[in-house]
Amino acid sequence: MIETNEVMKTYETLSGRITALDQANISIKDGEFVLIVGRSGSGKSTLLSILGGLTRPSSGKVMLNGKDLWAMNDEDLSEVRGSELGFVFQFPGLLPTLNTLENVMLPTMFCSKVEEDPSERATILLQTVGLGDKLDSFPNQLSGGELKRAAIARSLMNNPSIILADEPTGDLDVNTEKEIMDMFCRINKLGKTVVMVTHNQDLACFASRVLSMERGIVSEEEGQKCERI
Amino acid sequence: MAKLSYGQFLWRNLKRRSFRNVATVLTFAVVVCSVLIASFLTEGTSNSTRAGMTRLGADLLVVPQEYASNADAIIITGKPSTFFMNTTEMTKLQAVPGVQRVAPQTFIATLSASCCALPTQLIAFNSTMDFTVTPWLDQELGRPLEKDEVILGYQIKGTDVGQPIIFYGHQFKVAGILQPTGTGVDQSVFVRDSDAIVMARESVKVAWQPIEMNPGQISAILVQLEPGADVQQVSADIAAAAPEVSVITSNHLARKIDAQLASTVGALYLTAGAVTLISLPLIATVSTLVVNERRREIGLYRMMGAKKGFVFNALLAEALILAMVGALIGLVSAAAIVIIFNNTITVSLGIPFLWPGLDAVLLQTWWVMLLTVLLGALSALYPAMMAARSDPYESIRAGQK
Repeated sequence: MIETNEVMKTYETLSGRITALDQANISIKDGEFVLIVGRSGSGKSTLLSILGGLTRPSSGKVMLNGKDLWAMNDEDLSEVRGSELGFVFQFPGLLPTLNTLENVMLPTMFCSKVEEDPSERATILLQTVGLGDKLDSFPNQLSGGELKRAAIARSLMNNPSIILADEPTGDLDVNTEKEIMDMFCRINKLGKTVVMVTHNQDLACFASRVLSMERGIVSEEEGQKCERI
Repeated sequence: MAKLSYGQFLWRNLKRRSFRNVATVLTFAVVVCSVLIASFLTEGTSNSTRAGMTRLGADLLVVPQEYASNADAIIITGKPSTFFMNTTEMTKLQAVPGVQRVAPQTFIATLSASCCALPTQLIAFNSTMDFTVTPWLDQELGRPLEKDEVILGYQIKGTDVGQPIIFYGHQFKVAGILQPTGTGVDQSVFVRDSDAIVMARESVKVAWQPIEMNPGQISAILVQLEPGADVQQVSADIAAAAPEVSVITSNHLARKIDAQLASTVGALYLTAGAVTLISLPLIATVSTLVVNERRREIGLYRMMGAKKGFVFNALLAEALILAMVGALIGLVSAAAIVIIFNNTITVSLGIPFLWPGLDAVLLQTWWVMLLTVLLGALSALYPAMMAARSDPYESIRAGQK
């Protein structure tokens, strides 16, 4: 369960103060697939980064499974990021010096709540996302879609309950985009909460709930059935 | 592979920027190499001087005043020389408070010898009064030196124990070879004074430049002090009692060698200092640039659960590995240079050299390595701190730009 209470984020710039997030009050239940849509600069990525403990809000509270995220010290916050949250970005963010298997195993180096053998679990995850034959490949040997799938596998490595995705299909063609969205739907059906940020309104049909953002203000939208599923 | 190890993780990161890392490693290697060569030379010459004086077995060496520098040269580099003074000086010395005993020696420079291509220093000692070579003979041979027997310095090549050796047409037999001292003693041949006198007489018939060695004349007096006697005080008293002589102490030799070494050691320390001064800010700047380049990567680590401490430690560990590798290369290079070019260095600088003991070498190495590691850590400290403190999301976004 994720809840925010009057969360604000402002930035000081040379031209004055910019409000990226304005008193956001949202509540996301366990197992939901929430899409946050909005144009570039609407504040959706800022909201996601605050929910994910990556950037500190200027004010307000973020409760994650009953814990006040931003009241934690670095140790605990890092523990939450590593064990309870999984992140997928528009860029895959795989380390070029590690092969696919090692990249997927990487989160276990920082914290691990999974008792399985990391190598076995990473192999299974990579097989699940269709990269079973690419374990030893390095990022520069993978296509854009493959990189994205590897990043999704990595986000699941520590078996988090929440997946936060920031424009994960932003740079993909329509077919790969659908493939990736199907993957997120499957992850959601496994009981994991998925919160995805996108500028693409067409993806709204994949989500169980859609939040819209405009100039830092969050509002609820009507959901719609997805014909492509 | 069960889990990606911390070591593998660091190694992969280091491999990524191989050119830059090699340059950093080489910088540390040059600093360490320069400092260690200077340090090895200084310690080696000091050790050699100590060993040389110990071999002579004397606290003080007294020689004719005008030949003090010749005597220095005999001990320091083994440059042969012949000079004399009157034996009456011995009586004056024996009366000086603090002097326990004295022993005369006569130095004879051979122009060439059958043993070696270079001139050799013959040192004739008095078997009755000697307290320098005799203890060694007792310990190593278990008997005194017999008629026409010689003891060779470590560097006298071309002959061996039991083999004959000829000086001025007189045949001697090698009774033993001394341990190395790194000083001129290694290039000297010790002979009984009675045999030397016979050889000198014979030289008149066989040598085109015979030895002028007369009874009642000696070259040097070795002085052993009473336990607890003050070297400086006794030296001053000797100078007062016998104004015609010069007193050589190990401190005097060390000062002389230090003066000879000063410019070389200074140049080496200057090189190390200059390289450190230039490279430290450079390495710090490069570390900052690397951290900036890696901002997204660092943000990703934080996103995956890495704590600030992990990021800080990892960046610091990478810098320390580079410094350590550089220090090790520097250490091996310094040792190799001093070992391979040992003779060239000592001959060209006119200094004695004897490798210091393992404990001294390890101690010097330990300090230099520690200093290098501290420099490495210092250069990476600020960038690592900044990286650890940075906002993960800002880091990830900065990498996207």
